[in-house]
Amino acid sequence: MKKLCVIGAGTMGAGIAAQAANAGVPVLLLDIVRDAADRNSVAAGAIERLKKAEPAAFMSKAAAKLVEAGNIDDDLGRVAECDWVIEAIVEKIELKHALYEKLESVRRPGTAVSSNTSTIPLERLIEGRSEAFARDFLITHFFNPPRYMRLLEVVAGPKSDPELVARVSDFADRAMGKSVVRAKDTPGFLANRVGTYWLQAAINAAFELGVSVEDADAIGGKPMGVPKTGIFGLVDLVGIDLMPYLKASLTSTLPANDPYQAIAHDHPLILKMIADGYTGRKGKGGFYRINKEAGKVKEAINLNTGEYTKAAKPVSIPSAAQKDLRALISAPGVVGAYAWAVLGPTLAYAAGLIGEASDDILAIDTAMKLGYNWKYGPFELIDRIGGADFVARLQAGGREVPAILTLADGRPFYRVEEGQRQYLGADGAYHAIARPEGVLLLEDIKAASKPLLKTASAALWDIGDGVVALEFTGKMNALDGEVMKLIERAIPLVTEQYKALVVYNEGSNFSAGANLGLAIFAINIAAWGEVEKLVAGGQKAYKALKYAPFPVVSAPFGMALGGGCEICLNADAVQAHAETYIGLVECGVGLIPGWGGCGELMVRAAESPKAPKGPMPPVAKAFETISTATVAKSAANAKEIGYLRPGDGITMNRDRLLADAKARALSMVEGYTPPTPPVFRLPGASGKTALELAVKGFRARGLATPYDEVVADKLATVLTGGDADVVDTVTEEQLLALELREFMTLVRDSRTQARVEHMLTTGKPLRN
Amino acid sequence: MQVYTAPLRDMRFVLNELHQDDGFGGLSVHEEFTQDLTDAVLEEAAKICQDVLLPINLSGDSEGCQYENGVVRTPKGFKEAYDQFVQGGWGGLVMPVEYGGQGLPEAVGKLVEEMICATNVSFSLYPGLTAGAVTALNAYASEELKAAYLPKMISGEWSGTMNLTEPHCGTDLGLLRTKAEPVGDGSYKLTGSKIFISAGEQDLTSNIIHLVLARLPDAPKGVKGISLFLVPKFLPDADGNPGARNGVRASGIEHKMGIKASATCQMQFDDAIGWLVGEPHRGLEAMFTMMNAERVGVGIQGLGIGEAAYQSAVWYAKDRLQGRSLSGAKYPDKAADPIIVHPDVRKNLLTMRAYNEGCRALGAWVARGLDAERHAADPEVRQRAEDFVALMTPVVKALFTDLGHDSASLAVQVYGGHGYIHESGVEQYQRDARIAMIYEGTNGIQALDLVGRKMGAHMGRLLRSFFHPVSAFIEENKGEGPMQKMIEGLEKAFGALQLSTATIAEKGLKDPEEAGAAASDYLRLLGLVGMAYCFAKATKIAGLQLFFGTEDKAFYETKIKTATFFFEKILPQATTHFLAIKAGKGALMAFAEDEF
Repeated sequence: MKKLCVIGAGTMGAGIAAQAANAGVPVLLLDIVRDAADRNSVAAGAIERLKKAEPAAFMSKAAAKLVEAGNIDDDLGRVAECDWVIEAIVEKIELKHALYEKLESVRRPGTAVSSNTSTIPLERLIEGRSEAFARDFLITHFFNPPRYMRLLEVVAGPKSDPELVARVSDFADRAMGKSVVRAKDTPGFLANRVGTYWLQAAINAAFELGVSVEDADAIGGKPMGVPKTGIFGLVDLVGIDLMPYLKASLTSTLPANDPYQAIAHDHPLILKMIADGYTGRKGKGGFYRINKEAGKVKEAINLNTGEYTKAAKPVSIPSAAQKDLRALISAPGVVGAYAWAVLGPTLAYAAGLIGEASDDILAIDTAMKLGYNWKYGPFELIDRIGGADFVARLQAGGREVPAILTLADGRPFYRVEEGQRQYLGADGAYHAIARPEGVLLLEDIKAASKPLLKTASAALWDIGDGVVALEFTGKMNALDGEVMKLIERAIPLVTEQYKALVVYNEGSNFSAGANLGLAIFAINIAAWGEVEKLVAGGQKAYKALKYAPFPVVSAPFGMALGGGCEICLNADAVQAHAETYIGLVECGVGLIPGWGGCGELMVRAAESPKAPKGPMPPVAKAFETISTATVAKSAANAKEIGYLRPGDGITMNRDRLLADAKARALSMVEGYTPPTPPVFRLPGASGKTALELAVKGFRARGLATPYDEVVADKLATVLTGGDADVVDTVTEEQLLALELREFMTLVRDSRTQARVEHMLTTGKPLRN
Repeated sequence: MQVYTAPLRDMRFVLNELHQDDGFGGLSVHEEFTQDLTDAVLEEAAKICQDVLLPINLSGDSEGCQYENGVVRTPKGFKEAYDQFVQGGWGGLVMPVEYGGQGLPEAVGKLVEEMICATNVSFSLYPGLTAGAVTALNAYASEELKAAYLPKMISGEWSGTMNLTEPHCGTDLGLLRTKAEPVGDGSYKLTGSKIFISAGEQDLTSNIIHLVLARLPDAPKGVKGISLFLVPKFLPDADGNPGARNGVRASGIEHKMGIKASATCQMQFDDAIGWLVGEPHRGLEAMFTMMNAERVGVGIQGLGIGEAAYQSAVWYAKDRLQGRSLSGAKYPDKAADPIIVHPDVRKNLLTMRAYNEGCRALGAWVARGLDAERHAADPEVRQRAEDFVALMTPVVKALFTDLGHDSASLAVQVYGGHGYIHESGVEQYQRDARIAMIYEGTNGIQALDLVGRKMGAHMGRLLRSFFHPVSAFIEENKGEGPMQKMIEGLEKAFGALQLSTATIAEKGLKDPEEAGAAASDYLRLLGLVGMAYCFAKATKIAGLQLFFGTEDKAFYETKIKTATFFFEKILPQATTHFLAIKAGKGALMAFAEDEF
């Protein structure tokens, strides 16, 4: 796919265009002509909005330049330049038909055409089209926002060319980073079909059982593995006015005997809310609102009276029920009653879709996990309840038992057999979960093997072909002495028996850095020796990785902050997921990078071909980046900032990260020699004065706090080499010693202690 | 014989010399209180304690309080002593100036309290409970209530009590049953029974102001449904003088092991009129304000008794002639040597002395924290002082009362068989000291408070207020010199404390029983390190004084000797507690209940 065209520059179309551009592909974005004088204004306006979108739609400035605005009247002919045309216009079939008719005459044969429809069956979309068009046509249903939601539902018709469908899917997977789930051409496909049922069932149950909004979300959120917004919070987020629309679309297309028809009724209160403009967060408020008059009080609506009152502290969930789904649905009172009223019908509905909407439990589970951010898919949830119990409960409630559950006959939907993860097929037999080529998951390896080494906070796994993976296992993947211990033990093992090491894990973030909770406790009890050991030990372990006689590739994703960033900086190469938010953020908590980050960042700055000559520019660049605690907004942005090298790799699809990192590591094995330690020429006191002046400027403009100035001063001392003179050279070891010394000074400062404590207790930086 | 001379020199030392570098500021927040003034206050306090309170201590114990038909009679001399106490203004010593108090720093007030407790701990409870009630009212009551009650309570004309415990609920206040029904005019009618109410009824004051925990009709279950009420014995009339008798009566008094001159009453509330103090259902919070202040006060009771016990034992050890010194007769002209010549008797005496001086020094530091948390100009200092007081309150309460009781027991030991006889006066100390380990939260509860709430609060921030000064002191004074051995001892004990803290924090997170099993050992370990730190500081100051020359040579030389004794003979206990902590809960929980 060399070039894409997206037609329809609404939220979805524009977002899809941006993600295609993030993949490095030029995109032509077309919309109607609204202004005869400025014929591209609609698409151009959408691009401008994309640039300002929050969260960001583009991963880099370069990506933003790849989207070109056009209009349907003048530029439709240019689809001939494109390999894939994505239609994302309004959900009106006659408009889509008209567009397709025009497209048919201008597109190159073999150019894929897909619709981003969420409601119109493919069968109807291709009515009146040629065989050739139908062959090249499919539905590609993205989720909002397209950059961040990993799900892509692909629906192919009976006439669709399998090879073309595979080509589109492969591009969406590898280049756009989407997890492709195949769905049949049924209403709502998979995620929205289950999701709409779920929301409706949850809302109905709250009205019927008299459960308050707050209680419903407390029960139906986190304990079920659903984002903590819960149900009402989620509806507020997506827009309450969307509900009748979704309902109308599904009730009009689903057969009359579909269980959704029976529950799809309007609630007068909700209709009134929409009519009054209470459409959720985008409107005057929704089920929740922030009452600014009362002093930013969070209020919730009373489902009986429609009145807002201060959001009450929700019902407490028994501790067993917070983790154990069985305990949750059996909990006494409202907790168990509501949980079952939501889960029972919803999971049964999802299970009933096997055969009709999909043949595959994996597809439905993946769709709900990636499309609705459920922690577990419906079948995984049934496993957690226990299939037999679940069926017994359905029967006790007089509900029909879906065929797949009868077929399962109490067996789990997933199991691990001889180290292999398997799922129950629609044929009643277990099948291995086959990962596509180029997808390697640590969770599969962990199910199949035991770690080579393990400490309380890290583990080492054999991932095949002579490569090992270093996994962080502590809470939030926090880094501590136990991680360093594992690194030290891993190095001789890998040297003797393996070829390369990859730093990788499958937590929600790569690592947000050192275990600050542990550190602040050590600081509070004045265990300075322990703190120093933690810093010096980390320096030693990271440098040992850097100079180990085998290649080390770090594979970050999500947040890679502080020490999580530094382990990447000390690796031979980085293979980053596109959604990597990497940065040295130590200054935010009144510290400076202590595990070699200062030197490594200067090395990268000095390597940059754009860097001016002389000792000062790399120092100034590193100072600017570290002192402002800059965090990259993507892997591409990390290259712009200088955390990543130009040659570091970026993987768009999260599931492909480990395989890519492993391949990169293996590619370096042949003839590998460890790097030569850098020798710095640093500007010393005169350079420090220049940096201090800059900080004073920030202070004067109110951009830096008094303590920022103190921290920046310590950072400047390290980066300029302390007492070094320009004529001296500073070794890496000397720089590390300086880093340690200044770090330890800051640790003892009560203002640093206050910053760390504040960060840990509130999650926000203290600007003291 | 009960012997007591207030240790004024040591009190001045801990007040004016020992903690000047603690960052809490000098007494400068109370600038009008010069050292001359505080010296005079301490001297005057010593006089009334020695001359008025001490003589009625043993007699009060013998006679006890008498109950008849709802009336309680305190022992002979108590009413006269109380009047003198009130006339001297001692009740309002540290109380707020705006309601007629004298506003002296707590750092001074706690020393005066020590003297009162040393001479008559039963007596101390009457003004002590009033002080607690004033603290709670001042913090939570409406301006109307404050204006109507505080001046008379602060002057000592009226007294205060706290009514928490009920027959079926002590530590677990969630079980509380006393009811409060709104009358409609802003007042409430209270009905229920309370027990163990110190000074619930007495014949010293013209009115008694009870602070009572009770439940409102709409109250949620448990501790979140408890409100605090002010219930006067006599409802004030239009002029604010005691008027109609309210429906609160003592239905009996307890017959106790000790503090017999303190009336411990059973109280009956029958439609007693009261007023809400603070917000509905938030009574426990208000009560804990009072309780926390009281806990430090109870610790001081332990210290006071410890000092009296020490002095009485020293008197006896010098007076009692029995046997000869192991190294040959010291007083050949007498029939026998005084028992003070014996190493073991000395060890008993010096143990008491070291406990007393250690606790006094530590208590003075905490008292400075009490002042700084209220008055320091810098909010950071206030925060640090608040952290420090919160951390050290359970330590002061439990450590001081444990050691006070140990000292009383050692005094009995020094007296031998005579100590077991009532008239010797020292067995009273042991009986009087025993309650302090129990009330205001047992010492076991204090230890749980320390490891369960204080240790982990704000990611361990409270610990900083203690650990950082100790660590800094060690770093500053390490190395060769006259202090070397002492600093090494402190460093070792401090290291054991650091390690124990980390261990308990880590294990306790996963298993609260581990923290519970370590709690009382940990509290003692922290207390030992706290005292060691104070003794090391005292030694440094004394050393400097002696080096530069001082008129008070004897005091400083003795101080160094006491400190040396503490480091050599007491501080090794730190290792014991460290090892016990390290061993974990296993041996405690291995027992099945039927094996007991």
